[in-house]
Amino acid sequence: MGWRKAAIAGIGASRQGKLPGETALSLATEAFRDALADADLQKDEVDGLLTMPGTSSPEGAKHYLALGERLGINPSFTGSMAMGGATAGALVQLAAMAVSTGMANVVACVFGDAARTAGSKFDSAAGGSDSWGIWGMFGNAANSAIGARRHMALYGTTSEQLGWVAVNGRRNARLNPAAVMREPMTLADHQASRLIVDPLRLFDCCLITDGGVALIVTSPERALSGPHRPAVIWGMGQGHTAENLGREDWWYLPHQTDCVSRAYRMAGVSPKDIDVAQLYDNFTIAVLFWLEHAGFCKIGESGPFVEGGLRIGLQGELPLNTAGGNLSESYMQGWLHIAEGVRQIRGEAGERQIPDAELCLVTGRGMTLNTASTLVLGR
Amino acid sequence: MDALEPVLPVLSDDNRGFWDAARAGTLAMQRCAACGHLRYPISPICPRCLSPDFAWTPLSGRGTVLSFVIFEHAYNPAWASRVPYNVALVQLAEGPRMFSNVVGIPNEQVRVGMPVRVSFEPVQTAGGSELAIPRFAPAG
Ligand SMILES: [Zn+2]
Repeated sequence: MGWRKAAIAGIGASRQGKLPGETALSLATEAFRDALADADLQKDEVDGLLTMPGTSSPEGAKHYLALGERLGINPSFTGSMAMGGATAGALVQLAAMAVSTGMANVVACVFGDAARTAGSKFDSAAGGSDSWGIWGMFGNAANSAIGARRHMALYGTTSEQLGWVAVNGRRNARLNPAAVMREPMTLADHQASRLIVDPLRLFDCCLITDGGVALIVTSPERALSGPHRPAVIWGMGQGHTAENLGREDWWYLPHQTDCVSRAYRMAGVSPKDIDVAQLYDNFTIAVLFWLEHAGFCKIGESGPFVEGGLRIGLQGELPLNTAGGNLSESYMQGWLHIAEGVRQIRGEAGERQIPDAELCLVTGRGMTLNTASTLVLGR
Repeated sequence: MDALEPVLPVLSDDNRGFWDAARAGTLAMQRCAACGHLRYPISPICPRCLSPDFAWTPLSGRGTVLSFVIFEHAYNPAWASRVPYNVALVQLAEGPRMFSNVVGIPNEQVRVGMPVRVSFEPVQTAGGSELAIPRFAPAG
């Protein structure tokens, strides 16, 4: 069952947090070396290199050249992509396609960003020449806040319900030695955090961190000879809404339903088959939307679904963001969500391991509520 | 110089119709001459049929608040003195949507679904010309 023509055989990460003196390239390099060691591969075996420029990468679309030069890799397949938080999943998909067509045998997908040290503000305005900045609409939080407010007005969703997503992430991060934020957080702490873009509070927002992540994709057969159980790619999906104001339901990211459905169809699975999920959480409201888009609850019912935090906890029916996510582990724009998905499938997530996790859903979203990617990982 | 100067629109052949109409007190958008689609954001071609032919068309200026947020944090210095301020996603009666601000009432009184009507705020640019920014006031 499922597509199963490629697998993730290696995961690597640099140190995470505030790392003065490091750059996007140095952190990507650190993560790449870690992933090679994890997969027990030599650098010369890597013949594909796919990258995502960080917010602090000056190279833009030529990022793959800068990293290839630094790593001494002259690949048979390469490129860079910029879809924000959907990029990690989209690059793994591209790598999987390259492996399954024979265009490459071992593809490294790599990201690094010194966002914290470089002072990246995530404050730009969308809208081209007639910028939304004319009306004061700046930054990534505001777009998600627009969605949160309308969800609240239509369905009665509350700030406290959003808070349970943040509390869940922190609870899991406390079991993750690599997580940046490990101090306890209660719902009261969430409610006491200051408003940033009302209705979103500080603890509804992801961290801004320095770090790098690398993922190595190869054939399931080749992955079997590695030191870990392969995380086989059962299904892949994408969906995008390029016309933001052009769609009445843009605020609800309608493309995400299509994105997850495509991945389910390819994997031959349905929501009830998913054992654990890593849902992109740049803001808490994003997780509520994913729960609805991925079919774990009906439209408008995600608030009650997360309330109390039990259902989404490690012992719940749908454990979510088991490493802490963008909110508490580190803001690696979804790259660490995939790494955690791989760990859960391997059975190597330590204290936060979901027993017998056989299928993990991983989602990513990015830009101005425009892009989305989904992976279904399994054994 | 107005504090908003750094974020004011740069007039071009593409957007001049919108801002000329605004200065005359009318909200206008592009209606495709080929398929009739009324479009926004401003674009040189129709996203439905790709025709470049269009006419600037006056709208009623009426709409409802589809959603809104209140900025409690200054992301941009041009808006720092206005914090806290609201930004609303306005569903216009004729179909298109735009971001703007609800004026004339405290932020706490803005509601999703609230009917609004366009209202223009005059702004003097550093170059000495005059602009009018479309914002929205509650409509009775
Ligand atoms: Zn047309």
